Amino acid sequence: MAVFKIGKVILRSLFKKPATLMYPIKPREWQERTRGHIEINEKDCILCGICAKRCPTLAINVDKAGRTWTIERMLCIQCGACTENCPKKCLLMKPDYTSPDVVKITDTFNIPETEKKTGKTSSGSGGAPVCDRETCIYCGICAKQCPCNAIKVDRKEKTWEVDENVCISCGICVDKCPKDSLKID
Amino acid sequence: MGKRTIIPFGPQHPVLPEPIHLDLVIEDERVVEAIPSIGYIHRGLEKLVEKKEYTEMVYVIERICGICSFGHGWGYCAAVEGAMDIKVPERAEYLRTIWHELGRMHSHLLWLGLLADGFGFESLFMHCWRIRETVLDIFEETTGGRVIFSVCKVGGLRKDVDAETLKKMSTQLNGIKKELQELTDVFMEDRSVKNRLCGIGILSKKEAEELCAAGPVARASGVVQDIRMAGHGKYLELGFEPIIETKGDCYARCKVRLREVFQAIDIIDKAIKEIPDGDIIVPFKGNIEGEFITRMEQPRGEAVYYVKGQGSKFLERIRVRTPTNANVPAMVKTLQGCDLADVPMLVLTIDPCISCTER
Repeated sequence: MAVFKIGKVILRSLFKKPATLMYPIKPREWQERTRGHIEINEKDCILCGICAKRCPTLAINVDKAGRTWTIERMLCIQCGACTENCPKKCLLMKPDYTSPDVVKITDTFNIPETEKKTGKTSSGSGGAPVCDRETCIYCGICAKQCPCNAIKVDRKEKTWEVDENVCISCGICVDKCPKDSLKID
Repeated sequence: MGKRTIIPFGPQHPVLPEPIHLDLVIEDERVVEAIPSIGYIHRGLEKLVEKKEYTEMVYVIERICGICSFGHGWGYCAAVEGAMDIKVPERAEYLRTIWHELGRMHSHLLWLGLLADGFGFESLFMHCWRIRETVLDIFEETTGGRVIFSVCKVGGLRKDVDAETLKKMSTQLNGIKKELQELTDVFMEDRSVKNRLCGIGILSKKEAEELCAAGPVARASGVVQDIRMAGHGKYLELGFEPIIETKGDCYARCKVRLREVFQAIDIIDKAIKEIPDGDIIVPFKGNIEGEFITRMEQPRGEAVYYVKGQGSKFLERIRVRTPTNANVPAMVKTLQGCDLADVPMLVLTIDPCISCTER
């Protein structure tokens, strides 16, 4: 039986650089995909609230009236459900972790007013969707998928209505329409 | 005959990463009987199924265990996919197999470190965990997480890995092979290690079968039992064959896991060579109606996943049976008649994961 078999490994380790980093003096290198924390691009946010609905831990709160987007950092599990489902892709997963703290951090972001109500948003698209009645089959998928319940479809009566005051121009109905009958100018 | 005494072991004990309590009935220095009790870390995760949609439940299931997190996510997804008759794309299945084997590597390397720590070989423990770091880095690069991966999803995967990263992964894993071999020599040949492991806690093949031991514990006793042979993932296509040892002592259990680490590297290598191009996710509709049960070979052994739904987006019941649950009777058996000093080794060699067991 061999004795001190680990000697070779130990000897080599003696002459090698340490395997550990002098953290936090030497900062950690993040991978591109590291799920660190969520960031929001406030300019593009349309306050649709889909992120809050999809969040499995209810860490996100969207206040449409107060125009704020709030995230509780300690509740967030960095699953990425919000970034995947954001219709405007204004939520981003950043690779670095939030810094440690002794209190639970809640970050609130004020969402600037868009020019939608006067006609167009900053990104160029705006207003409520328009339906092409010739191709529409009144399936009601747009109404089901609408995050603000702004669309009303009656299959029997063959009516399609959108409440322009409620609509946030997220464009989900346009994406989901099986007949491509919807358009947002 | 000496006087009988009862010594409480755990739930707080230096060798136990997680809480389990054993009442050891001692006669002189010899254990006559061990009475296990669990219940210190129950979190009620299965109950959460009533509040979380079945697609969201993956995040909860992944958190059953911090070590076989990917396997649990996959097991649950496989059960839901089975119940809804979803055919997962080939590429997703290959990637799942690769990540599952990486998970096995990181679990076994962690365990080898804990074992070395258990018998007081601190530097060996550190070196095992140093090598494990490479595997964790690969995980972070490909999935974005070191412990909780959040890549498995009902119907496929959420992230793809490009060919370049896969090639790099293969090079990195083959790079640690040499270092692993050196550590294997220490575990397998060093006198002080062998003194602590050889001939300790022998579990015969008959006992392993009778007590329904699972995973490496059963395989170390010569029981040919590995759910990877039943055809989940792409193991059959990759020519998988289980690793069997026959002695049934702590040394054999250690050897099975060491050999499985090398086998995992070979499986990953082969999978990277054979992985087809294509989609990683398939769209699906509807809710689960009916029930489905599936089995998965976790690093610690066979795990069972059961889902039952009644057509709503919330499942009615899920049930997970984890390998440690199956291995506790085998551990109690090996504890009977052992020396008090060997108790930590015997508890460790079933690779207990109490958080899994209690959920």
